[in-house]
Amino acid sequence: MTVTICIGSACHLKGSREIIKQLQELVAANHLEDKVDLNGAFCSGNCVNGVCVTIDGALHSLSPENTKEFFETEILGKL
Amino acid sequence: MNITVDVAYKSLNKFTEILCGDKVELLSTADSNIMILADGMGSGVKANILATLTSKILGTMYLNGATLEEIVETIVETLPVCQVRKVAYSTFSILQVFHNGDAYLVEFDNPGCIFIRDGVLQQIPQNYRIIKDKKINEYRFKVQKGDSLILMSDGTIHAGVGMLLNFGWTWKEIAEYAVKQSKVTISAARLANSISRACDELYMFRPGDDTTVACMRIIDRKVVHLMTGPAQKKEDDVKMVRDFMSGDAKTIVCGGTSATIVSRELNKKLKPTLDYFDPEIPPIAYIDGVDLVTEGVLTLNRVLTLLKRYANNDNISEDFFLELDKPNGASMVAKILIEECTEVNMYVGKAINAAYQNPNLPFDLGIRQNLVDQLKKTMADMGKKVQVVYY
Repeated sequence: MTVTICIGSACHLKGSREIIKQLQELVAANHLEDKVDLNGAFCSGNCVNGVCVTIDGALHSLSPENTKEFFETEILGKL
Repeated sequence: MNITVDVAYKSLNKFTEILCGDKVELLSTADSNIMILADGMGSGVKANILATLTSKILGTMYLNGATLEEIVETIVETLPVCQVRKVAYSTFSILQVFHNGDAYLVEFDNPGCIFIRDGVLQQIPQNYRIIKDKKINEYRFKVQKGDSLILMSDGTIHAGVGMLLNFGWTWKEIAEYAVKQSKVTISAARLANSISRACDELYMFRPGDDTTVACMRIIDRKVVHLMTGPAQKKEDDVKMVRDFMSGDAKTIVCGGTSATIVSRELNKKLKPTLDYFDPEIPPIAYIDGVDLVTEGVLTLNRVLTLLKRYANNDNISEDFFLELDKPNGASMVAKILIEECTEVNMYVGKAINAAYQNPNLPFDLGIRQNLVDQLKKTMADMGKKVQVVYY
Protein backbone atom coordinates (compact mmCIF):
# COMPACT_ATOMS: atom_id res chain seq x y z
CA MET A 1 0.00 0.00 0.00
CA THR A 2 1.35 3.43 -0.93
CA VAL A 3 0.41 6.36 1.30
CA THR A 4 1.35 9.79 -0.04
CA ILE A 5 1.30 12.85 2.20
CA CYS A 6 1.41 16.37 0.72
CA ILE A 7 4.30 18.46 2.02
CA GLY A 8 3.44 21.59 0.02
CA SER A 9 3.19 25.04 1.62
CA ALA A 10 -0.49 25.01 2.55
CA CYS A 11 -0.51 21.42 3.84
CA HIS A 12 2.69 22.13 5.75
CA LEU A 13 0.92 24.94 7.59
CA LYS A 14 -1.99 22.60 8.32
CA GLY A 15 0.27 20.04 9.98
CA SER A 16 1.89 17.68 7.43
CA ARG A 17 4.91 17.29 9.65
CA GLU A 18 2.86 16.17 12.65
CA ILE A 19 0.81 13.78 10.50
CA ILE A 20 3.93 12.26 8.92
CA LYS A 21 5.45 11.77 12.35
CA GLN A 22 2.30 10.08 13.67
CA LEU A 23 1.98 7.82 10.63
CA GLN A 24 5.66 6.85 10.78
CA GLU A 25 5.27 5.93 14.45
CA LEU A 26 2.02 4.03 13.87
CA VAL A 27 3.52 2.08 10.98
CA ALA A 28 6.57 1.20 13.09
CA ALA A 29 4.48 0.26 16.14
CA ASN A 30 2.39 -2.11 14.03
CA HIS A 31 5.44 -3.52 12.20
CA LEU A 32 3.99 -2.61 8.80
CA GLU A 33 7.19 -1.23 7.24
CA ASP A 34 7.08 -3.92 4.56
CA LYS A 35 3.43 -3.35 3.72
CA VAL A 36 2.97 0.41 3.95
CA ASP A 37 5.12 2.75 1.90
CA LEU A 38 5.04 6.35 3.17
CA ASN A 39 5.87 9.02 0.56
CA GLY A 40 5.91 12.76 0.24
CA ALA A 41 4.30 14.71 -2.58
CA PHE A 42 3.99 18.32 -3.55
CA CYS A 43 0.68 20.08 -3.99
CA SER A 44 -2.10 17.82 -5.24
CA GLY A 45 -4.26 20.85 -5.98
CA ASN A 46 -6.68 20.30 -3.13
CA CYS A 47 -5.32 22.71 -0.57
CA VAL A 48 -8.68 24.13 0.52
CA ASN A 49 -9.43 21.30 2.96
CA GLY A 50 -7.13 19.50 5.39
CA VAL A 51 -3.76 17.96 4.63
CA CYS A 52 -3.97 15.91 1.43
CA VAL A 53 -3.18 12.23 1.90
CA THR A 54 -3.56 9.82 -0.99
CA ILE A 55 -3.90 6.05 -0.57
CA ASP A 56 -3.50 4.14 -3.81
CA GLY A 57 -4.97 7.03 -5.75
CA ALA A 58 -7.86 7.88 -3.40
CA LEU A 59 -7.66 11.37 -1.87
CA HIS A 60 -8.31 11.94 1.85
CA SER A 61 -8.24 15.09 3.90
CA LEU A 62 -6.52 14.82 7.29
CA SER A 63 -5.70 16.83 10.38
CA PRO A 64 -3.26 15.81 13.13
CA GLU A 65 -6.28 15.15 15.39
CA ASN A 66 -7.92 12.51 13.20
CA THR A 67 -4.72 10.84 11.97
CA LYS A 68 -4.85 7.92 14.39
CA GLU A 69 -8.46 7.15 13.51
CA PHE A 70 -7.59 7.43 9.81
CA PHE A 71 -4.72 4.99 10.27
CA GLU A 72 -7.01 2.45 11.95
CA THR A 73 -9.84 2.58 9.42
CA GLU A 74 -8.13 3.42 6.14
CA ILE A 75 -4.75 1.72 6.54
CA LEU A 76 -5.07 -1.06 9.13
CA GLY A 77 -8.66 -1.76 8.13
CA LYS A 78 -7.88 -2.14 4.45
CA LEU A 79 -4.68 -4.13 4.53
CA MET B 1 37.79 36.60 -20.53
CA ASN B 2 34.63 36.14 -18.54
CA ILE B 3 35.27 37.31 -15.03
CA THR B 4 33.35 38.96 -12.27
CA VAL B 5 34.00 39.97 -8.70
CA ASP B 6 33.25 38.87 -5.18
CA VAL B 7 32.98 42.02 -3.06
CA ALA B 8 32.55 42.57 0.65
CA TYR B 9 33.46 45.16 3.22
CA LYS B 10 33.60 45.59 6.95
CA SER B 11 33.50 48.87 8.86
CA LEU B 12 34.39 49.55 12.48
CA ASN B 13 32.94 52.69 13.99
CA LYS B 14 35.13 54.99 16.02
CA PHE B 15 34.67 53.95 19.65
CA THR B 16 31.39 55.32 21.11
CA GLU B 17 30.11 56.51 17.70
CA ILE B 18 26.83 55.11 16.41
CA LEU B 19 27.36 56.15 12.80
CA CYS B 20 30.34 55.34 10.64
CA GLY B 21 32.19 58.13 8.87
CA ASP B 22 33.29 55.79 6.08
CA LYS B 23 30.93 54.73 3.33
CA VAL B 24 31.21 51.96 0.77
CA GLU B 25 29.07 51.88 -2.39
CA LEU B 26 28.86 48.74 -4.52
CA LEU B 27 27.47 49.24 -8.02
CA SER B 28 27.26 47.27 -11.19
CA THR B 29 26.78 48.18 -14.81
CA ALA B 30 26.00 45.83 -17.67
CA ASP B 31 29.70 45.13 -18.19
CA SER B 32 31.46 46.06 -14.96
CA ASN B 33 31.45 46.18 -11.16
CA ILE B 34 32.32 49.29 -9.19
CA MET B 35 33.42 49.62 -5.58
CA ILE B 36 33.66 53.07 -4.02
CA LEU B 37 35.03 53.89 -0.57
CA ALA B 38 34.63 57.40 0.85
CA ASP B 39 36.00 58.56 4.21
CA GLY B 40 34.38 61.74 5.55
CA MET B 41 36.42 64.14 7.63
CA GLY B 42 35.94 63.85 11.38
CA SER B 43 33.58 61.28 12.84
CA GLY B 44 29.96 60.71 13.73
CA VAL B 45 27.06 62.38 11.95
CA LYS B 46 29.12 64.96 10.08
CA ALA B 47 31.59 62.46 8.70
CA ASN B 48 28.78 60.10 7.83
CA ILE B 49 27.00 62.79 5.82
CA LEU B 50 30.20 63.82 4.01
CA ALA B 51 31.08 60.23 3.15
CA THR B 52 27.55 59.33 2.09
CA LEU B 53 27.23 62.40 -0.14
CA THR B 54 30.63 61.79 -1.67
CA SER B 55 30.06 58.12 -2.41
CA LYS B 56 26.55 58.74 -3.78
CA ILE B 57 27.67 61.60 -6.02
CA LEU B 58 30.63 59.57 -7.26
CA GLY B 59 28.46 56.56 -7.95
CA THR B 60 25.56 58.33 -9.59
CA MET B 61 27.64 60.62 -11.81
CA TYR B 62 30.08 57.90 -12.74
CA LEU B 63 27.26 55.55 -13.74
CA ASN B 64 25.79 58.29 -15.90
CA GLY B 65 29.03 58.80 -17.79
CA ALA B 66 30.37 62.00 -16.23
CA THR B 67 34.12 62.62 -16.47
CA LEU B 68 36.35 62.48 -13.43
CA GLU B 69 36.85 66.27 -13.66
CA GLU B 70 33.11 66.91 -13.55
CA ILE B 71 32.63 64.55 -10.63
CA VAL B 72 35.42 65.97 -8.50
CA GLU B 73 34.23 69.49 -9.25
CA THR B 74 30.70 68.60 -8.19
CA ILE B 75 31.88 67.06 -4.95
CA VAL B 76 34.06 70.04 -4.08
CA GLU B 77 31.21 72.46 -4.79
CA THR B 78 28.50 70.42 -3.05
CA LEU B 79 29.89 69.16 0.23
CA PRO B 80 28.85 71.17 3.27
CA VAL B 81 31.76 73.08 4.78
CA CYS B 82 33.01 71.89 8.16
CA GLN B 83 32.47 74.61 10.81
CA VAL B 84 35.63 73.65 12.68
CA ARG B 85 38.07 73.26 9.82
CA LYS B 86 36.38 75.52 7.26
CA VAL B 87 36.77 72.97 4.49
CA ALA B 88 34.60 70.37 2.91
CA TYR B 89 36.47 67.18 2.68
CA SER B 90 36.10 63.51 2.06
CA THR B 91 38.76 61.19 0.69
CA PHE B 92 37.73 58.51 -1.77
CA SER B 93 38.80 55.56 -3.89
CA ILE B 94 36.99 54.15 -6.92
CA LEU B 95 37.73 50.73 -8.35
CA GLN B 96 35.99 49.55 -11.49
CA VAL B 97 36.52 46.09 -12.96
CA PHE B 98 35.10 45.15 -16.34
CA HIS B 99 34.03 41.63 -17.27
CA ASN B 100 36.73 41.59 -19.96
CA GLY B 101 39.45 42.08 -17.33
CA ASP B 102 40.08 45.82 -17.74
CA ALA B 103 40.37 47.68 -14.46
CA TYR B 104 40.39 51.35 -13.51
CA LEU B 105 41.47 52.72 -10.14
CA VAL B 106 41.05 56.30 -8.92
CA GLU B 107 42.45 57.33 -5.56
CA PHE B 108 42.22 60.53 -3.61
CA ASP B 109 44.05 60.63 -0.26
CA ASN B 110 42.99 57.21 1.01
CA PRO B 111 45.71 54.68 1.86
CA GLY B 112 46.73 53.06 -1.44
CA CYS B 113 44.89 50.11 -2.86
CA ILE B 114 46.48 46.75 -1.97
CA PHE B 115 46.76 44.66 -5.11
CA ILE B 116 47.68 40.97 -4.73
CA ARG B 117 48.32 38.54 -7.58
CA ASP B 118 49.47 34.93 -7.16
CA GLY B 119 50.24 35.61 -3.52
CA VAL B 120 52.57 38.53 -4.36
CA LEU B 121 51.99 42.21 -3.65
CA GLN B 122 51.81 44.22 -6.90
CA GLN B 123 53.08 47.79 -7.32
CA ILE B 124 50.52 50.41 -8.26
CA PRO B 125 52.36 53.16 -10.14
CA GLN B 126 51.87 56.81 -9.26
CA ASN B 127 50.27 58.80 -12.01
CA TYR B 128 48.90 61.98 -10.46
CA ARG B 129 46.53 64.51 -11.94
CA ILE B 130 45.49 67.74 -10.31
CA ILE B 131 41.75 68.43 -10.45
CA LYS B 132 40.38 71.39 -8.48
CA ASP B 133 43.55 71.47 -6.35
CA LYS B 134 43.12 67.81 -5.51
CA LYS B 135 45.94 65.43 -6.28
CA ILE B 136 44.32 62.34 -7.74
CA ASN B 137 46.00 59.08 -8.72
CA GLU B 138 44.71 57.15 -11.72
CA TYR B 139 45.71 53.68 -12.81
CA ARG B 140 44.45 51.57 -15.69
CA PHE B 141 45.44 47.91 -15.65
CA LYS B 142 44.33 44.36 -16.33
CA VAL B 143 43.09 41.96 -13.69
CA GLN B 144 42.99 38.21 -13.85
CA LYS B 145 41.20 35.45 -12.01
CA GLY B 146 42.47 35.07 -8.45
CA ASP B 147 43.54 38.72 -7.98
CA SER B 148 42.60 40.44 -4.73
CA LEU B 149 42.17 44.20 -4.44
CA ILE B 150 41.67 45.94 -1.12
CA LEU B 151 40.55 49.52 -0.48
CA MET B 152 40.88 50.97 3.02
CA SER B 153 40.13 54.07 5.04
CA ASP B 154 42.99 55.53 7.08
CA GLY B 155 41.58 54.03 10.28
CA THR B 156 43.47 50.89 9.28
CA ILE B 157 46.94 52.42 9.15
CA HIS B 158 46.29 54.30 12.38
CA ALA B 159 45.31 51.14 14.22
CA GLY B 160 47.13 50.94 17.53
CA VAL B 161 48.78 54.37 17.31
CA GLY B 162 50.19 55.41 20.65
CA MET B 163 48.80 52.31 22.29
CA LEU B 164 50.12 48.98 21.12
CA LEU B 165 52.17 50.49 18.30
CA ASN B 166 54.16 53.72 18.17
CA PHE B 167 53.21 54.71 14.66
CA GLY B 168 50.18 52.57 13.90
CA TRP B 169 49.95 49.61 11.60
CA THR B 170 51.89 50.71 8.52
CA TRP B 171 50.58 50.22 5.00
CA LYS B 172 53.40 47.81 4.27
CA GLU B 173 52.60 45.67 7.29
CA ILE B 174 48.91 45.61 6.45
CA ALA B 175 49.74 44.63 2.87
CA GLU B 176 51.93 41.77 4.11
CA TYR B 177 49.14 40.60 6.40
CA ALA B 178 46.64 40.86 3.55
CA VAL B 179 48.89 38.73 1.32
CA LYS B 180 49.01 36.08 4.05
CA GLN B 181 45.25 36.19 4.60
CA SER B 182 44.49 36.12 0.87
CA LYS B 183 46.12 32.70 0.76
CA VAL B 184 44.03 31.20 3.57
CA THR B 185 40.65 32.73 2.73
CA ILE B 186 38.52 32.23 -0.35
CA SER B 187 35.71 34.78 -0.14
CA ALA B 188 36.03 38.56 -0.06
CA ALA B 189 33.90 38.57 3.09
CA ARG B 190 36.37 36.46 5.03
CA LEU B 191 39.37 38.48 3.78
CA ALA B 192 37.75 41.81 4.74
CA ASN B 193 36.76 40.36 8.10
CA SER B 194 40.24 39.11 8.93
CA ILE B 195 41.95 42.46 8.21
CA SER B 196 39.25 44.40 10.01
CA ARG B 197 39.49 42.05 12.97
CA ALA B 198 43.27 42.60 13.18
CA CYS B 199 42.69 46.39 13.23
CA ASP B 200 40.12 46.00 15.98
CA GLU B 201 42.57 44.00 18.06
CA LEU B 202 45.33 46.57 17.57
CA TYR B 203 42.87 49.22 18.74
CA MET B 204 42.16 46.92 21.70
CA PHE B 205 38.51 46.91 20.52
CA ARG B 206 38.21 50.67 20.97
CA PRO B 207 38.87 52.04 17.46
CA GLY B 208 40.30 55.56 17.55
CA ASP B 209 38.93 56.24 14.06
CA ASP B 210 36.35 54.84 11.66
CA THR B 211 38.04 51.87 10.04
CA THR B 212 36.87 50.27 6.81
CA VAL B 213 38.27 47.45 4.71
CA ALA B 214 36.64 46.77 1.32
CA CYS B 215 37.78 43.75 -0.67
CA MET B 216 37.26 42.73 -4.24
CA ARG B 217 38.36 39.31 -5.49
CA ILE B 218 38.37 38.46 -9.15
CA ILE B 219 36.51 35.22 -9.80
CA ASP B 220 34.77 33.32 -12.55
CA ARG B 221 31.14 34.18 -13.16
CA LYS B 222 28.83 31.82 -11.33
CA VAL B 223 25.26 32.02 -12.56
CA VAL B 224 22.28 30.69 -10.62
CA HIS B 225 18.80 30.23 -12.11
CA LEU B 226 15.99 30.25 -9.58
CA MET B 227 12.42 29.43 -10.56
CA THR B 228 9.44 30.01 -8.30
CA GLY B 229 5.68 30.03 -8.89
CA PRO B 230 3.62 28.71 -11.78
CA ALA B 231 3.13 30.91 -14.86
CA GLN B 232 -0.03 32.97 -15.04
CA LYS B 233 -0.93 31.36 -18.36
CA LYS B 234 -0.52 27.64 -18.40
CA GLU B 235 0.72 27.69 -22.01
CA ASP B 236 3.80 29.67 -20.83
CA ASP B 237 5.00 26.73 -18.69
CA VAL B 238 7.05 25.32 -21.57
CA LYS B 239 8.84 28.62 -22.24
CA MET B 240 9.39 29.27 -18.53
CA VAL B 241 11.03 25.88 -17.95
CA ARG B 242 13.07 26.21 -21.13
CA ASP B 243 14.42 29.62 -20.05
CA PHE B 244 15.06 28.30 -16.55
CA MET B 245 17.07 25.31 -17.81
CA SER B 246 18.99 27.30 -20.46
CA GLY B 247 22.72 27.97 -20.34
CA ASP B 248 25.28 26.70 -17.90
CA ALA B 249 23.79 27.67 -14.56
CA LYS B 250 23.12 26.13 -11.19
CA THR B 251 19.36 25.48 -11.03
CA ILE B 252 17.03 25.88 -8.05
CA VAL B 253 13.26 25.38 -8.01
CA CYS B 254 11.38 26.85 -5.02
CA GLY B 255 7.77 25.71 -4.98
CA GLY B 256 5.75 22.50 -5.06
CA THR B 257 3.67 23.37 -8.09
CA SER B 258 6.71 24.79 -9.89
CA ALA B 259 8.58 21.56 -9.19
CA THR B 260 5.66 19.56 -10.58
CA ILE B 261 5.74 21.67 -13.76
CA VAL B 262 9.52 21.30 -14.17
CA SER B 263 9.27 17.56 -13.59
CA ARG B 264 6.50 17.29 -16.22
CA GLU B 265 8.29 19.44 -18.83
CA LEU B 266 11.64 17.67 -18.36
CA ASN B 267 9.93 14.31 -18.17
CA LYS B 268 11.91 13.49 -15.02
CA LYS B 269 10.40 12.06 -11.87
CA LEU B 270 9.83 14.40 -8.90
CA LYS B 271 10.97 12.67 -5.72
CA PRO B 272 9.97 14.47 -2.50
CA THR B 273 11.61 13.45 0.79
CA LEU B 274 10.01 13.29 4.23
CA ASP B 275 12.95 14.49 6.30
CA TYR B 276 12.21 17.53 8.43
CA PHE B 277 15.58 18.95 9.46
CA ASP B 278 13.83 22.09 10.61
CA PRO B 279 10.20 21.98 11.82
CA GLU B 280 9.36 25.23 10.01
CA ILE B 281 10.84 24.34 6.64
CA PRO B 282 9.13 21.64 4.51
CA PRO B 283 11.40 18.84 3.20
CA ILE B 284 13.29 19.17 -0.08
CA ALA B 285 12.73 17.05 -3.17
CA TYR B 286 14.82 15.77 -6.08
CA ILE B 287 14.49 16.06 -9.85
CA ASP B 288 17.25 14.64 -12.07
CA GLY B 289 19.00 17.53 -13.81
CA VAL B 290 17.95 20.18 -11.27
CA ASP B 291 20.43 21.08 -8.53
CA LEU B 292 17.97 21.85 -5.74
CA VAL B 293 14.18 21.53 -5.30
CA THR B 294 12.40 23.03 -2.28
CA GLU B 295 8.99 24.18 -1.14
CA GLY B 296 8.17 27.77 -2.11
CA VAL B 297 7.04 30.65 0.03
CA LEU B 298 7.90 29.38 3.53
CA THR B 299 11.39 28.41 2.37
CA LEU B 300 11.97 31.67 0.48
CA ASN B 301 10.84 33.62 3.51
CA ARG B 302 13.60 31.99 5.57
CA VAL B 303 16.11 32.41 2.72
CA LEU B 304 15.35 36.13 2.74
CA THR B 305 15.93 36.33 6.51
CA LEU B 306 19.33 34.68 6.09
CA LEU B 307 20.34 36.86 3.12
CA LYS B 308 19.31 39.99 5.00
CA ARG B 309 21.45 38.99 7.96
CA TYR B 310 24.37 38.53 5.58
CA ALA B 311 23.75 41.73 3.63
CA ASN B 312 23.50 43.62 6.90
CA ASN B 313 27.13 42.80 7.43
CA ASP B 314 27.06 43.50 11.17
CA ASN B 315 26.14 40.22 12.78
CA ILE B 316 27.96 37.67 10.69
CA SER B 317 29.69 35.31 13.02
CA GLU B 318 30.54 31.64 13.16
CA ASP B 319 26.88 31.02 14.16
CA PHE B 320 25.71 32.40 10.84
CA PHE B 321 27.90 30.03 8.84
CA LEU B 322 26.78 27.09 11.01
CA GLU B 323 23.16 28.00 10.20
CA LEU B 324 24.10 28.18 6.52
CA ASP B 325 25.58 24.67 6.62
CA LYS B 326 22.33 23.06 7.90
CA PRO B 327 20.61 20.56 5.60
CA ASN B 328 17.18 22.26 5.45
CA GLY B 329 15.91 23.68 2.15
CA ALA B 330 16.20 27.33 3.15
CA SER B 331 19.82 27.12 4.37
CA MET B 332 20.72 25.20 1.21
CA VAL B 333 19.25 27.87 -1.06
CA ALA B 334 20.84 30.71 0.96
CA LYS B 335 24.23 29.01 0.92
CA ILE B 336 24.20 28.72 -2.86
CA LEU B 337 23.08 32.34 -3.28
CA ILE B 338 25.73 33.65 -0.87
CA GLU B 339 28.74 31.46 -1.61
CA GLU B 340 28.30 29.95 -5.06
CA CYS B 341 26.67 32.74 -7.03
CA THR B 342 27.78 35.97 -8.68
CA GLU B 343 24.60 36.58 -10.61
CA VAL B 344 21.10 35.24 -10.30
CA ASN B 345 18.28 35.07 -12.82
CA MET B 346 14.87 34.60 -11.22
CA TYR B 347 12.04 33.08 -13.25
CA VAL B 348 8.89 34.06 -11.42
CA GLY B 349 5.37 32.86 -12.18
CA LYS B 350 2.52 35.21 -11.33
CA ALA B 351 -0.30 32.67 -11.05
CA ILE B 352 -2.34 33.05 -7.88
CA ASN B 353 -2.99 29.88 -5.91
CA ALA B 354 -6.64 30.05 -4.82
CA ALA B 355 -6.00 27.89 -1.78
CA TYR B 356 -3.46 30.41 -0.48
CA GLN B 357 -6.20 33.01 -0.17
CA ASN B 358 -7.48 31.08 2.83
CA PRO B 359 -7.61 33.41 5.88
CA ASN B 360 -7.48 30.41 8.23
CA LEU B 361 -3.83 29.76 7.39
CA PRO B 362 -1.44 31.04 10.06
CA PHE B 363 0.89 32.56 7.43
CA ASP B 364 0.10 34.64 4.36
CA LEU B 365 1.22 32.44 1.50
CA GLY B 366 0.19 35.02 -1.13
CA ILE B 367 3.36 37.03 -0.65
CA ARG B 368 5.56 35.49 -3.34
CA GLN B 369 5.73 38.74 -5.29
CA ASN B 370 6.78 40.66 -2.21
CA LEU B 371 9.43 38.05 -1.34
CA VAL B 372 10.85 38.20 -4.86
CA ASP B 373 11.11 42.00 -4.71
CA GLN B 374 12.91 41.84 -1.39
CA LEU B 375 15.21 39.03 -2.56
CA LYS B 376 16.11 41.09 -5.59
CA LYS B 377 16.96 44.12 -3.51
CA THR B 378 18.93 42.15 -0.93
CA MET B 379 20.97 40.29 -3.56
CA ALA B 380 21.74 43.62 -5.26
CA ASP B 381 22.86 45.04 -1.90
CA MET B 382 25.23 42.09 -1.65
CA GLY B 383 26.80 43.26 -4.92
CA LYS B 384 25.32 40.48 -7.04
CA LYS B 385 23.73 40.96 -10.39
CA VAL B 386 20.01 40.17 -10.36
CA GLN B 387 17.55 39.75 -13.17
CA VAL B 388 13.88 38.90 -12.75
CA VAL B 389 11.67 37.57 -15.53
CA TYR B 390 7.91 37.26 -14.98
CA TYR B 391 5.58 34.79 -16.63
